[in-house]
Amino acid sequence: MSDVPDHLDLARHRDDPETAEIVARRALFLLLTAFAVAAILGAFGQRPQNSVAAADRAELDVSAPSRVRGGLLFQARFTVEARGAIENATLVLARGWMESMQINTIEPSPTEEASRDGDLALSFGPLAAGDRLVLYMQFQVDPTNVGHRSADVGLYDGAELLARVDRTLTVFP
Amino acid sequence: MDIVVRAFFAFLFVLIVTRVMGRRELSSLEPFDLILLIVLGDLIQQGVTQSDYSFTGLLLAGGTFTLLTVAVSYLVFRVRRLRPVFEAEPLVLVDDGKIIDRNLRRERMTPEEVAAEARLQQIPSLDGVRWAVLESNGRISFIPR
Repeated sequence: MSDVPDHLDLARHRDDPETAEIVARRALFLLLTAFAVAAILGAFGQRPQNSVAAADRAELDVSAPSRVRGGLLFQARFTVEARGAIENATLVLARGWMESMQINTIEPSPTEEASRDGDLALSFGPLAAGDRLVLYMQFQVDPTNVGHRSADVGLYDGAELLARVDRTLTVFP
Repeated sequence: MDIVVRAFFAFLFVLIVTRVMGRRELSSLEPFDLILLIVLGDLIQQGVTQSDYSFTGLLLAGGTFTLLTVAVSYLVFRVRRLRPVFEAEPLVLVDDGKIIDRNLRRERMTPEEVAAEARLQQIPSLDGVRWAVLESNGRISFIPR
């Protein structure tokens, strides 16, 4: 009578254990490693990225993450360098900046806020040549806000477009 | 709906993590493993419920986890071929007093660990062991000669 315990198959459990199991474990380990490496390289966001648009009368620089995650707090910084006189510097933010986002702070406060074709228009009054306007906005992402959204930014003098930055905001779950 | 989807993916993630970590780490529960599991649990909870503090959220997330646990258990019970995917097979570590190095390496175990487990079961030497088997739940069963 064999002394091998019941339900033990020596071929399978001693001599040649299932290789698929170990292969699957290693594959899953590699998958987790790949996620961690991708995160370190910035694939899942948080790191701010600069986008610049320059025109004759002004330069617009937007520094903000283009990839964020649900619940994340982040800052967007908008810098306007006036190269010529601007009567009413107005930043127009696409809906993606506001959709399912908590806006915690806007500093400095705009002199006027309005909706322009559904986008948010923030007016800051006149800028002389050489003036610099720096606007800070602090956001928090709603956890249910997932997907891609347009996060374009336009710099206007009243209704006249001076410079425009095209951006996309990706929100990971 | 989101919370159910998040709970589903969190469940898959837990399955992956437990398979990657290996049965020994999960069963031995050394202080480090214990803390790691608690931290993982906290991270998973945050990912699933996020800022939802409602009782409904608890019902949805807890219900989804329970449902998936029963579903996986039933699947493993009904489909034999799926068993190695969800739970590890027994592995013979000692045969007639001799350690099978290849199988120990496979589970990242050392002969000292096997000897320590034997001592915990009042077996002073592996020479007196006919079979030592690493079971699916990560514990080692010893069958004396």
